[in-house]
Amino acid sequence: MQFELRTQVIEPKRKTFTNLVERYGDRPASRYEEGSIDIQPVENLHYRPLYSADKEHYDPNWSAFKLADPYSFTDPRQYYYAPYVQSRAATNEAFVKTIDYVESRALFTKMPAGWDALVGEVLVPLRHWEAGTELVFIEGARWAWGTTIDQCCTYAAFDRIGNAQNLSRIGIVYGDGHDHALATAKDTWLSGPALQGLRRLIEELLAGDDWAKKVVAVDLTDRLLYPLMYGHVDEAALTGGAGAYSLVAQHFSSWFADHRRWVDQLIKVWLADETYAESNKAAFQDVLDERWTQIVEAVTDLAAAVDARVRCGAADVVAANAKELAADLAAAGLTVPGGN
Amino acid sequence: MTVPAQKPVRKLSMKQRYSALTHDLDWTPTYVTEEQVFPHTTFEGIKVHDWSKWDDPFRLTVEAYNKYQAEKDRRLYAVLDGFAQSQGQLGLTDARYMNAMKIFLQGIPIHEYDAHRNFAYLARYANGPGARFAALCQSLDELRHAQTEIHTLSHYNKHFDGMHDWHKWSDRVWYLSVPKSFFEDALTAGPFEWLIAIGFSFEYLLTNLLFVPFMSGAAFNGDLPTMTFGFSAQSDESRHMTLGLEAIKFMLEQDEDNLPIVQDWLDKWFWRGYRLISLVAGMMDYMLPKRVMSWKEAFELYFEEQMLGGLFKDLEYYGIKPPRHVDWAIGEKEILSHQVYWILYQYSHAAAFSTTIPDAEDQAWLEQAYPETWPVYRDTVWNKAQRVMDEGGRYFNPGLPQLCTVCQIPMGFTEPGDPLTQCQRQSVYEGERYDFCSDGCQWIFDREPVKYRQSWLPVHQIFQGNCGGPTLPDVAAWYGLQPGDGAEYLGSPDHQNWLAWHGQAPQEG
Repeated sequence: MQFELRTQVIEPKRKTFTNLVERYGDRPASRYEEGSIDIQPVENLHYRPLYSADKEHYDPNWSAFKLADPYSFTDPRQYYYAPYVQSRAATNEAFVKTIDYVESRALFTKMPAGWDALVGEVLVPLRHWEAGTELVFIEGARWAWGTTIDQCCTYAAFDRIGNAQNLSRIGIVYGDGHDHALATAKDTWLSGPALQGLRRLIEELLAGDDWAKKVVAVDLTDRLLYPLMYGHVDEAALTGGAGAYSLVAQHFSSWFADHRRWVDQLIKVWLADETYAESNKAAFQDVLDERWTQIVEAVTDLAAAVDARVRCGAADVVAANAKELAADLAAAGLTVPGGN
Repeated sequence: MTVPAQKPVRKLSMKQRYSALTHDLDWTPTYVTEEQVFPHTTFEGIKVHDWSKWDDPFRLTVEAYNKYQAEKDRRLYAVLDGFAQSQGQLGLTDARYMNAMKIFLQGIPIHEYDAHRNFAYLARYANGPGARFAALCQSLDELRHAQTEIHTLSHYNKHFDGMHDWHKWSDRVWYLSVPKSFFEDALTAGPFEWLIAIGFSFEYLLTNLLFVPFMSGAAFNGDLPTMTFGFSAQSDESRHMTLGLEAIKFMLEQDEDNLPIVQDWLDKWFWRGYRLISLVAGMMDYMLPKRVMSWKEAFELYFEEQMLGGLFKDLEYYGIKPPRHVDWAIGEKEILSHQVYWILYQYSHAAAFSTTIPDAEDQAWLEQAYPETWPVYRDTVWNKAQRVMDEGGRYFNPGLPQLCTVCQIPMGFTEPGDPLTQCQRQSVYEGERYDFCSDGCQWIFDREPVKYRQSWLPVHQIFQGNCGGPTLPDVAAWYGLQPGDGAEYLGSPDHQNWLAWHGQAPQEG
């Protein structure tokens, strides 16, 4: 039995805002929809940017990738600000628990030979890769056409700098509470041969045009780098007795799975757009023509650095993953240089 | 045998740790040039010698940010849910109060969103990691504010008119081109001018005049969600104010050649911002059933005392002078709200809020708040408007007003010291004449005529045939206005529903 609470019932005049009724029909809207659909101003823009003679400050022409209706893309995770920060507060807390545990048991000092060097010279330097990719995504947040895409880019940017900070925390714990391991990692990023491919890639991307092409190039790189560093090497750590590596790696692989949901959806929507499918495909092909070889080489160099410290067949895994990724791209009608 | 005590190793201080987690992530590119990666920070002429001098006093990490913000949002949304469930709108002072919130929803979240996008610009293109990370956090905050404001007012939209198509209105409707042109002016500038325009002038210099009237107005009028939003945004705003102050000091400390550029921007954005918030002045004095303080009192406290008397004394050290045209603003403090509300009153048939003649209680308040100036407006305009009402009509201006080219407010402001003579200034640029409401707006135009000749002036656009047609119904349809969104409050659907909810009249269908 329940008690009967009486409240004054007032029939609402409308269920939500007019633009949402026009788009989705006369039904109540979610908070994601009310906070994300049609938010960006689209017309009667007053002034040309002082820094751009040919494009407006909101303009679909900031990228070759376009959608007939930008709101045909929505975030499959339905993140608006509140659920986003709540989700990240929870994952951050889990990471902190892990890193505290690793620190309290000094687990980084209890790894088998080779793993020590792998963490210090390969894993921790990747904090700079993450920091660089943050700039790519926040660039998307500025130039994307439409709020749903901009919003995903914004959260991705914040995630990436968060990843960079978490890798830095790993470096601090690995360095027994000091920052010398971070200094070494930075030197490695700046001059270690294994990381120059990645550094050159991200610097060249940042110097170029078209935020969406950059997002695609970073995503292709991530799709080789993450399964290597946080998938394959994680497996090797588990079987090789380097529990500390696995404990921290899990957080990056689960983040990546969440992150790829929206990128995947965006690529899908781009390539299926009623008006721009072909030109989007051409833009995607441009990225592959320009960057594929460079990307594969950069991650292969990283894998070689892994193998040099812990022989675990990393280079073979990258080759196999690149082949698989090329096949996926071929299924979408795209070709990688050198053949799929 | 004694074992020598091991010297304790000094671990990282909080400051070093913060730096390791943030600034140290940065590196100088070598495969490309720094200018290629950060191409937007030179064209404005601001000289920066050392980006590392940009300090971020909050030392937030991503982890700390997410934790605090998640907790704040949990509390805010709990209040919003409870308010909706309990039909909290019944506890407002009066349905008339919603007009303030209509203007808020139409004019604010969209530009919080603009700010989100342009702090992303800064988070991308500032050369220093400290500035970038502070801007990144602010970009997220501004998105938070846009969304939480929409969600806060979403429940009201279900029960009141004047809110349902805010996003279209913000791009099209005449008075909303005032905030739109303001923000787009800032968005189309470079990163340093943006920092002075929004980070400093808007978020620091004028923020108390802008937000306090809305948020305190909410608290005084039973609007729990908006008040809660206001408190919830407060800690974000204090970060933003700090960033704004940090930005101006950084520019001034980096090179003395920056001073004249910064002073010019400060002069421009003070006047731009002051004209923008004149809409708030009208709202404060005329649209709140229960008032917090008068515009004049707020201006004296938050601007004259705190800013001119405090902030500008501190900035004197750098050679900064109080903004140009500040005396003009001070001279208007007793007339500004009267003039603005009279403009809103006579054109509210083409607006998405309603207006009404101040009732006896309002008039008594206005008289004590403005003993010198209120009687002038009462006798010249309101008594006439009342006579029209008494005869069964309602005075609306049937014509279209001329707009100021810069601030875009209809020309209804007066000459300094002469509240009955309309002020009009003109400049000619490349054979075309442009009109302004004040010396301040004219000065802004004359500095950048190439920019302001592009202004999307709603009245010009109507005459050029770009707004749905030549008649008022054509334009109202193009605006997306529906019956009940605007015009006179008394007898409006909102008014009738309010009476019905409180058992004083049958509900409107």
